[in-house]
Amino acid sequence: MAAAATVDSLRWRRPRVATRPALAPTQVRWLGALLIAAQLPLLSFVPIWVAGFGAMQVALRFFLLHRDRLRPGAVPARIPTWALALFAVAAGLAIRQSFGYFIGRDPSVAFLFVLIGIKFLETRTARDGTLLVCLAGFLVVTPFFYNQSVLAAAAAVPALVLVGAALQVLALPGDEPDFVRWRVPIARSAKLLAQGIPLAAILFLLFPRLAGPLWGLPSDHMGKSGLSDRMALGTISELSLSDSVAFRVDFTSLVPAPAQRYWRGPVLTRFDGREWTAAPRTPAGEFARIAARPVAYTVTLEPHYKPWLFALDLPAALPRVATDAGDEERAAPIAGLTRDQQLVALAPVTQPLRYEQLSILSSAYPPGNDEEAAAEIADSRRLPRGNPRTQALASELRLRYPDDAAFVRAVLQRFHDEPYVYTLSPDALYPRDPVDGFLFESRRGFCEHYASAFVVLLRAAGIPARIVTGYQGGEMNPNGGYMIVRQSDAHAWAEALVGGQWRRYDPTAAVAPSRIEGGIGRALPADDHVPLLARLDGSWIKGLQLAWDAVNHDWRRHVIGFNYEQQRSLWRNWEIDRFAPWQMVALASAFVLAWVGALLAWLVWRRRREDRALALWKALCGRLARAGLPRQPHEGPLAYAARAAARWPEFAVAFDVIGDAYAVLRYGPAAGRDDRQRERAAALARLARAVDVLPAAGALRTLPVPA
Amino acid sequence: MPAALASTSSWTARWRQRAFRHAPADLDPVVLRHSRIYILPTRRGLAFLATLAIMLVTSLNYALSLGFVVTFLLAGLVGSALLHTFRNLAGIELRPLAAGEAFAGSVLPFTVAIAGGATARRAVSLAARGARVTMDVPAGAALPALLDVPTSRRGRIALGRVTLSSDYPLGLWRGWAYVHFPLTGVVYPAPELNAPPLPPGSAGDDAQTSARGDDADLAGLRTYQDGDPLQRVAWKAVARGAGWYTKQFDGAGGGGPAVLAWRSLPGAMSAEGKLARLVAWVLAAERAARPFTLSAPGIALPAGQGRDHRRAALTALALVSAPD
Repeated sequence: MAAAATVDSLRWRRPRVATRPALAPTQVRWLGALLIAAQLPLLSFVPIWVAGFGAMQVALRFFLLHRDRLRPGAVPARIPTWALALFAVAAGLAIRQSFGYFIGRDPSVAFLFVLIGIKFLETRTARDGTLLVCLAGFLVVTPFFYNQSVLAAAAAVPALVLVGAALQVLALPGDEPDFVRWRVPIARSAKLLAQGIPLAAILFLLFPRLAGPLWGLPSDHMGKSGLSDRMALGTISELSLSDSVAFRVDFTSLVPAPAQRYWRGPVLTRFDGREWTAAPRTPAGEFARIAARPVAYTVTLEPHYKPWLFALDLPAALPRVATDAGDEERAAPIAGLTRDQQLVALAPVTQPLRYEQLSILSSAYPPGNDEEAAAEIADSRRLPRGNPRTQALASELRLRYPDDAAFVRAVLQRFHDEPYVYTLSPDALYPRDPVDGFLFESRRGFCEHYASAFVVLLRAAGIPARIVTGYQGGEMNPNGGYMIVRQSDAHAWAEALVGGQWRRYDPTAAVAPSRIEGGIGRALPADDHVPLLARLDGSWIKGLQLAWDAVNHDWRRHVIGFNYEQQRSLWRNWEIDRFAPWQMVALASAFVLAWVGALLAWLVWRRRREDRALALWKALCGRLARAGLPRQPHEGPLAYAARAAARWPEFAVAFDVIGDAYAVLRYGPAAGRDDRQRERAAALARLARAVDVLPAAGALRTLPVPA
Repeated sequence: MPAALASTSSWTARWRQRAFRHAPADLDPVVLRHSRIYILPTRRGLAFLATLAIMLVTSLNYALSLGFVVTFLLAGLVGSALLHTFRNLAGIELRPLAAGEAFAGSVLPFTVAIAGGATARRAVSLAARGARVTMDVPAGAALPALLDVPTSRRGRIALGRVTLSSDYPLGLWRGWAYVHFPLTGVVYPAPELNAPPLPPGSAGDDAQTSARGDDADLAGLRTYQDGDPLQRVAWKAVARGAGWYTKQFDGAGGGGPAVLAWRSLPGAMSAEGKLARLVAWVLAAERAARPFTLSAPGIALPAGQGRDHRRAALTALALVSAPD
């Protein structure tokens, strides 16, 4: 039997498929749906031509699919690969041109957006499909670079579900995809996602966050709205056109009056005749010792990619990271105080930051009396040449008011009495001597015009003065009991060393007092363009907007704001912060195992439930056997039920239902098809009810046998 | 320490058998439990996991809380897909049903019964020896899975290890299990094409009922017996419901059973050629409903006919150990 042995030892290799099978049109359509869902949330963040180009390619593929369907049997329409490569290169060059650079976050997102469309055009095999699903999955994350609001989260949900659905459809064997109903993969994908939520929650809470970025963030954020450390005439009025939120404040003590809501930001000392800049190096300062009751509050700062933190004038303590769990341990300091009473964070604020802050509402503080203070004061007197008329006005006023305080009052009085106009749209000024142009000719300006003219006048008179930028105002949201400070609240005021103290002066208040009391919406002329929300006082739109903002505030605090510090504080609260890494891994594994166990147990329980039909049938057979009518081994449910109905005609209807329902459950269409589930559930209910109707075996046995 | 060595090797052997089921030691039925089921990510699964890793690093670097949410939700999807892949296989019951018959060069069908219990099983593949079949098993059903194993040479052929696998539902994980039934089939030698006609019978000394179907007269009917060739069943009688009868013919032809003998074949023929010729003759005799005797090295079949006789002859020819 040697031959038999050799035959037996023959090993067969699995035949290699030479050509990869092409995707069915249905599969391509599912991929297209996924792409659309992944691209849609990005549309407003990529350049408009990129959006159009990317969307056009998806549409083109759909068009080709449609054309193929109209002409069955014809060679499927294809776009040559070289044309696609050309597309990709052209798109890359155009993006380079449009952004000015290519290696960076935003151009990469735009390129990915286009690339995914190109890939979709040439998607033919299952492997292409895999790549496409992976790219689309990554694309789902990219809108969060720009916006992490509740709406952005909601917009990602369809893409997530479609990722699961597309994977399912790709995994279907052979010719099946054509017979898939669209609801089935969607429902199953949603089910799988829902079952994975506990795992996702464990990972979200326990996966360690980083305190800072892994690699340097690209400089994509330059020019984003927010205060900067330089100010030319026109910078702040530009900023005031934005409705976006700068920060939100939860007060733990009483809310200060509107006129006291000066949120101190960058202090600008240097002036080159046109532009104000911060002193390049500001030494560490000390908190002013002022005996007063401090205001306590928590600021939720939107990332502005600059290091400064905002606090009510004057800050009284260093900010500390706020956590929802009131933990006693003080986190390491996140910011320092400069001599000019600015809070500067150790690193630029690149993620939403919540910090607790104490302030003393005071408009004056002592300059200190060391060498650095002297240098600071000297810096605040320096005035470049230029603006001769302003200088002349200062000398003239100085002659009349030798006292510093009187001089300042006179300047403010002049702003108030002369026909100066507070407006967001000042006239263009000559770059030469802009302060002269504003003070004597146009007389129309925004806060930065008044502040810089004021400081220039004071310096010309020899009084140390400087510009303070920040925000003034803020609106209480009745829905959440917190204050919203918007970019439109950006403001510039002045500080002057008068009477041995740095005192705050707001020349804008002298021109338009309502700006300080009621915000720019009230203070500006009606034909000025003001952000919508700054003016819609008391209207229902405003109310709606405030309610929505309250939702977003909570969202920011608990979901988006769940960063390194929040996570650590949560861990401290659970007393797991001291765990070694292996203990942390063990804990996470325990949670994951619990999830696996729970899910498997549930799946098995569902299987048991499926088995209920069999259990009912067996019980019934046993009962009938005890009643004297055992089932013959060859008898199916229908035959047995018919025999039982003949023996007990009183219950013929019940037996009929039993036989029929059990046959449906046992031999009917599979439960796996989701659309059959309901049918089977109904059959099971019928079976249970009919079995319930039948009396016990003893009672059945005593019933007379029909003639 | 040879004794210790031996015990180690037997331990490894046991472990290897448990892990890879190289020996046909599975007695029916086999119910797949967690100890038999392996799961690893597919290529698509690996690609998807790599994407998740990139998404995670991006979220870490840019501190995107929603990025984490999306990444972890997709990780949850991958995780629950893993459990569903496992559940799709766990509890499947397999039993060997039958090995078919085949001539070398064609496919040898093996049948394995697969039952899923109370849950429907989706896209379950069975593969063995180059045969592969993918099927859905509805809840409560037991289906035969037909594995068409390609053959090239005569002899006994074992189904070997069956790999049952599925990447349901997302194609990210492939779960599989090895089952090794002692199921063997026989591959008959391929019949010779255009073989010469049957050799004449051994002078009708025996008045056995026999005839060549085509040029014979119907002599009568007798009750059907197991093994009577189907060509000779009186189908009209069956259709009428009169019962099963077998037609009997009065033979004109060569008379007596055909003698199919290895020795009568030209010596120049190769052994396999002789086998092919004999197989062709067996088939021809069967087609002609003519009894035959068969003799070959190690074989001496008395005269007979019918399905069982034919199978005995073909099996014997398949298992002839290389003569000469």
